[in-house]
Amino acid sequence: MKNRLRVLRAELSWSQAELAEKLGVSRQTVNAIETGKYDPSLPLAFSMARTFKRRIEEIFEADGIPGLT
Amino acid sequence: MTEQSPRPNPAEAPIDPLSTHPASPFLRTEAPAPVAFASPPSPVQVVPAASTWVLYRSQIEFGLAMLAYLMVLVGSVVVVQANPGASWRYAVVVLPVAPAAFVIWLFVRALSRLDEMQKRIQMQAFGFSLGSTALITFGYGFLEGAGLPHLNWTYVLPLMAVLWALGAAIFTLRYR
Repeated sequence: MKNRLRVLRAELSWSQAELAEKLGVSRQTVNAIETGKYDPSLPLAFSMARTFKRRIEEIFEADGIPGLT
Repeated sequence: MTEQSPRPNPAEAPIDPLSTHPASPFLRTEAPAPVAFASPPSPVQVVPAASTWVLYRSQIEFGLAMLAYLMVLVGSVVVVQANPGASWRYAVVVLPVAPAAFVIWLFVRALSRLDEMQKRIQMQAFGFSLGSTALITFGYGFLEGAGLPHLNWTYVLPLMAVLWALGAAIFTLRYR
């Protein structure tokens, strides 16, 4: 899955560590999600959406998932 | 009664010619205009007041519990070897189970505190450790049947731990 996490984070000039603290996960997890190596669970995706005050679809883009693209 | 300091005579006060009057043309009354294309202010680096205890609390607790386990283990072995015929030796032999149970509790608590990706990494590392330990011990069991020397069963747990650490390192790198 692609995501706009790095862009959204840069807009608010948050560091990975700051975002990780807001989400209650480790900085390594935020990094793995940003680089697309790990897809977050639905609860974590929702809490990201709430943190950035956006909808999940504005953060994540389901590419390559049959029926969605 | 304390003696108050004498009030300074305004006539003798030093004169600040630039800022004595509010309408002084030398006095800056508004903020400087922003410079175009200036770099944004550097974020304030908040250094958390983290001590060794705060940062490595789990590791310290785990190490102390392991130390307690080893101390009780060695102690019970020494006591039982010195009193081989005593009727209470069974109770002394099982004493190390208490600190060992505490070690397991700390371990499970540390696992439950991980976030979802770290849990996934640990799950993969455990799977790797379990599978490769099974392969190695099975393989060596067959080799023993063919004539290799018999190894002590206590080698299994260290082997499992080493393979788990190896797996955790491999799967952590994979998500980096």
